[in-house]
Amino acid sequence: MPDIITVEGLSVVYPDGTKAVSDISFGVKEGEFFGFLGPNGAGKSTTIKALTTLLRKTAGKVSVAGYDLDRSPREIRRSIGVLSQETSLDVDLTGRENLRLQGRLQQLHGKILEERIEELLKLVQLEDVGNKPAGRYSGGMRKRLDLASALIHEPKLLFLDEPTTGLDTQSRVAIWEYLEGLNKKQGITIFLTTQYLEEADRLCRQLSVIDHGQLVANGTPSELKAALGGDAITLTIEDSGLRSRAKEILKTIQGLTNISDSEGGIVAYAKNAGEIIADIVTALQASGIRPSFLSISSPTLDDVFLRQTGRRIRSDELSRRETEPFLV
Amino acid sequence: MAFLYDTQSLFQRYLIKLFRNPTLLGTNLFTPLLFLLLFSQLLQKFSLFLPGVSGGYLAYLTPGVVVLNAMISAPLGGVSIANDLNSGFLSKMLLTQVVRPAILLGRLFTDMLVVVMQSIISLALAIALGVKISSGIPGVLLILLTVAFFELALSGIFLAIGLKTRKTETISAISGVIFFPIIFVSSSMFPVSFFPAWAQTISNYNPVSYAANVTRELVIGGLSASTVFYAYVLIGIIAIASFAATLYQFRKVIS
Repeated sequence: MPDIITVEGLSVVYPDGTKAVSDISFGVKEGEFFGFLGPNGAGKSTTIKALTTLLRKTAGKVSVAGYDLDRSPREIRRSIGVLSQETSLDVDLTGRENLRLQGRLQQLHGKILEERIEELLKLVQLEDVGNKPAGRYSGGMRKRLDLASALIHEPKLLFLDEPTTGLDTQSRVAIWEYLEGLNKKQGITIFLTTQYLEEADRLCRQLSVIDHGQLVANGTPSELKAALGGDAITLTIEDSGLRSRAKEILKTIQGLTNISDSEGGIVAYAKNAGEIIADIVTALQASGIRPSFLSISSPTLDDVFLRQTGRRIRSDELSRRETEPFLV
Repeated sequence: MAFLYDTQSLFQRYLIKLFRNPTLLGTNLFTPLLFLLLFSQLLQKFSLFLPGVSGGYLAYLTPGVVVLNAMISAPLGGVSIANDLNSGFLSKMLLTQVVRPAILLGRLFTDMLVVVMQSIISLALAIALGVKISSGIPGVLLILLTVAFFELALSGIFLAIGLKTRKTETISAISGVIFFPIIFVSSSMFPVSFFPAWAQTISNYNPVSYAANVTRELVIGGLSASTVFYAYVLIGIIAIASFAATLYQFRKVIS
């Protein structure tokens, strides 16, 4: 499969001098479900805005859907659908009117447009409320309508900027199912940014981790997890003096890799975690250190993130939404 | 063709929005009527000072109120674009294949339509109260054209402010502050001969006076080509300046 997106040395510097994205390169294959994972302010939204022609890049060579970003922005806009982080609907217009306006602006006409509207309302299960103003919809319904409007012109490539941020679990799962269907059944390539590891883990077949405007890791979710070297072993030791001593002790144990701090504790990885745990406890006890908590778990993308960026994506960070204006 | 199609699509959008907000539509339509009724009743005795005007102060006031319509509608476009900027809807439109100037033009047509509707209602009320439009139907059409053009020129100012500040409050504050002085220190509401000399001077340069004078000559008679010429030149200059500012800000926003 050829690459539908190629990015070489993309940089975006804001007029105030902030380097939002520094020299990143990656490719996305046609038909891929590609995830761009990173915390708030990492540069995810900026990258999406640059790739979708909304924001002017400072440097780099970008091609989207076979078109050069600098030379053919209008052709790119014709080939892509974009679901922005902020749900953007006209709340005075009904669901149908929102889709009709979007379709007309995408140069669709008459019967073809009307049929497409009904098809999409059915897809996102809003056909019963299609004649109600979008302002009366719940958050999940608005997101679904917004998704439908991004699909009106049958794009072959769909960009989604944190599509489930701020949604309840039920709405989130519903959006996931639509996206999986679009990707698998209709072959639409999806480029998704997220700060939810669970989301990236479930949906994406290919991932890039971005932090501070730079790519820090690439691969499939399982490759990224496998690179950690096995299961995650987490120890909680409140006293920071004891904790650093414990870390030194762990470094002497054969088979433990990627030993690092993790908020009030230590995390390390091992292929044979179940066996090695006895060695850990024995070695720590010999030095009089008793962890208050100890666990073994399969590595998650959160562990990948911790490994690559030195911190976890925490739930309190998830609730803090980016407030930067959409256009800069 | 795409440009016309997009302009029509957006014109429809704004029109639907307008009719879904009956409070806004009602206030816009009826504020001028309130002015017409209130001033013509409270200041009835002004007719004594206007011996040459058939129809008295009511006939004098009618053109002023028609011009007032243009000033009430002018900020609407700026408010709308600031709202679209803040809600992300403008970005959403920019991500489509829309021919971009259509976004502004669709809005301008809607506001011009509102002004024409307002003005027809104002004129109808004045006629019902006994005012005779001396220039007849062609005169009414020229009145509507003049206020629509005046509204267009003024709306460019507010579009530029809306695009620059992205704050609807700023537009309301600015329109509120400049609204009263330029309305009242002009020939729109009261005969200029009542004013002190400094206010007469301001009024003579005030564009509102020019628009009001054309309309007034069409209502009470005595239309001269020079009044129309100077009014259209002045309004044209305002339109060019305000739309140069609007397009400058629009290009900054969309690039």
